[in-house]
Amino acid sequence: MSARERGILMKSNINYLRFSFFHRFCHFLIIISFFGLVLTGVPLAFRSYDWARWLYALFGGYPTAGYIHRICALITFFSAFMHFVYLFYNISVKKKKGFFWGPNSLLIQPRDIFDIIADIKWFMGIGKKPDFDRWIYWEKFEYLSLMWGTLVMAVTGLILWFPVQFTKIIPVSVATIVDLPSIALIIHRYEAILAAGFIFTIHFFHTHLLPEKMPVDEAIFTGRITEEEFKHERLNQFKRLENQRQLDNYKVAPSSLFVSFLTRLFAVPILITGLIMVGLMFSALLVWAL
Amino acid sequence: MVYKPKRKLTVNVASGLKRLRLPAFLVTFTSAVFLLPVILFAGDNGPCYECHTKQDKLKVTEKAKVDPVTGEINVASMLIDEAIYKASAHGGEDFFCIDCHQDLDGADLTEGHKSNLKPVDCITFCHDDPAEDYLQSSHVKLMKENNKDVPTCKDCHSGLSYHYTSLGEKSPRDVPKGVDPLHRKLTIEACGSCHQDHLESYRNNAHGQVTSLGHTTTDVPVCFDCHGKHKILNSSNPESKVGKERIIETCGNCHANANASFVKHVEHPQIKNVNYYKTLLAAIKNARNNPDNLKKVIKNPQTILCIVFVMYVGILAFTFSSFGLHSLLCWFAVVRDERKRKGHTDEEQH
Repeated sequence: MSARERGILMKSNINYLRFSFFHRFCHFLIIISFFGLVLTGVPLAFRSYDWARWLYALFGGYPTAGYIHRICALITFFSAFMHFVYLFYNISVKKKKGFFWGPNSLLIQPRDIFDIIADIKWFMGIGKKPDFDRWIYWEKFEYLSLMWGTLVMAVTGLILWFPVQFTKIIPVSVATIVDLPSIALIIHRYEAILAAGFIFTIHFFHTHLLPEKMPVDEAIFTGRITEEEFKHERLNQFKRLENQRQLDNYKVAPSSLFVSFLTRLFAVPILITGLIMVGLMFSALLVWAL
Repeated sequence: MVYKPKRKLTVNVASGLKRLRLPAFLVTFTSAVFLLPVILFAGDNGPCYECHTKQDKLKVTEKAKVDPVTGEINVASMLIDEAIYKASAHGGEDFFCIDCHQDLDGADLTEGHKSNLKPVDCITFCHDDPAEDYLQSSHVKLMKENNKDVPTCKDCHSGLSYHYTSLGEKSPRDVPKGVDPLHRKLTIEACGSCHQDHLESYRNNAHGQVTSLGHTTTDVPVCFDCHGKHKILNSSNPESKVGKERIIETCGNCHANANASFVKHVEHPQIKNVNYYKTLLAAIKNARNNPDNLKKVIKNPQTILCIVFVMYVGILAFTFSSFGLHSLLCWFAVVRDERKRKGHTDEEQH
C-alpha cells in the first residue's frame, strides 16, 4: 500500500473529532506567537553569527524586533490566560470531572509509567506497539513543559522588560548578591534555546514528521482523525469510548480536500522555518565545540 | 569646553575674512583659468577641494601611514568626500582645512603644495581639555606606574581605525562625530583589543548582545557611555562614572528612576569565563584555611549567575540527549512496523 493509497483510504473513512475548535485556536495562537518570539529573540542569543544579524535586521532590528517580541509575548500571555479560564470554567462552573485524574487528564498517571516501559520494549523490538489512551506520555510531558516554560519565560521576560521596577522591590543588601536582571537574562536565554530546540526537534519529529504523518499531522489544524489513525495511535481510548457507547458523539464529517490543502500551506513553511532555525542553532553549537 | 582658545581665534579670523571671500574666490577662479600662482588663504576650502576631490588632479592619491600602536603600515587615501567631511566632527561652518594643516597657510599652490605636512597638533589650541582629563585617568596612572609608554591621543584617535571615508577606505581625515554609529561600533573594538575579557563578558549581557547585532546608536550603551571617554577611572575613585558615588546617575542617563538596587546589576557576567570557575573551585578547596575568601566568593553576584548557567547547560544536555534518543528510536520503530506490515501484505498477495 503506497503512501498515496493510504492517504486516500484514511480520508475516505469515518472521522472523529480529536481537538475542539478552542484547542485548535489556542495551538494556532501559540504557533504565531512562538515563531514571532523565536525569530526575534534567537538572534540575540546567537549574536556573533551573520545569520543572526541578518534575521534581526529582517525583523526591523533594534528596537522594532523588540516590539514584535513583546507583542508576541502578549499573545502568549493571552492564550495562557484563555487556557486557564477554560480550565476554571470547566472545573468550577460546569463541574466536569477528569481533569486531574483518569485517562482524560494531562497530568502524569500511574499508567504512564507502564506505557513508557511498554514503549521502550517496542523500540527494542521485544514487544508490540503499546495501546495508548487519549494522551500519550510524551504528549503530557510536552504539555507540562509548555506550561512550566511559559511561566519561566513570562516571569524572566517581565523582569527584563521592567528591570527598574522589579529591582525596586528588592532591598539593596539582597541586590548586591542576587542580580535579578542578569539571572533573568541567563534563564530567559537558555530556557528559550531549550524551548525552541525542543519544539523544532522533539515535538516536530514526534508528531508531525513521523513517517506515517509526514509532513504534518493535520489533526491539530482540522481537529479530525480517521478511524484507522484513531485505532492505530490510541486504541485504548477508542475501545474505552466504544464500551461506554460514546464513540458516536465524536463522529464528524471528514475535512474537505481544500481545508487539508490550506493546513499544509500554512504548516509546511512553518515546519521548514523551524527546522532551519534549529539547524542554524545546532551549527552554531558545532562551530563553538569545534 | 573643547575648543576654548582656538575657537575664538577661528571665529575672529573667519569673520574677518568673510569680507575677503569674494576676492579669494576671484583669485581661485582666475588662477584656474589663467594658471596664475594660487595662494592658499584661511577661510576657504575651495582650493583644497579643487584637487583633493578629483583623482586625476592629485600627484599622490595614496600614502602609506604607520600605525603608532601596532606598527602596521596602512594605505590612506588622499581623496576627500565633501559630503562626508561636512558630516564629520570637523565639518562645521567655520572650520577650514588650514585650521589644522597650519603649515599650508599662505602656501603657493601653482605647482602643488609640499608633500609631507607637519603632523596636526590637536591639543595645543583646541583639544586641551580632554587631554587634561586623559592625563588624570587610570590609563595614564597605571602605565606610568608600570613604566610603560603612556598611550597618546593618536594611539587611539589618529589610528586609521577611527576614520573612514564614503569610499569605504579608512582615511585619517574625517573624524566622525561621537554619536556616529560606526564610530561607536569601532570604539567597542578599540577598547576590546586590549580589554578582551571585558568585551567578551559585555557581549554576554543585554547591551552587548544588541550592539553585537550591529545596532550602535546612542540608545544602547557602548564602553564609553558607562566608563567615560577620557577620564576613565577605577570604580573605587569617587569621581568614577561607575563608582558607587555616580553609578545611579550613569545608569539613570538611560534608565529613568534607576535605583540603588538596580545599579547593582552585573554588566560583565563571567558565566563563560573559565578563570572565574577556577577561582570558585579554588575558594571551595581552601575553605578550611581561608573561610573569608569563600564568603567573599559566595557573596559575589557572579557566583549565582555561574550556577544558573551551569544548571541550564546540564538541563539542555540531558533533555536533548534523552528525548533525542527517544525520538530517534520511535522513528525507527515506526519504520520497522511499516516494513513488517508491508511484508505481510506482500505475502498475502502471493
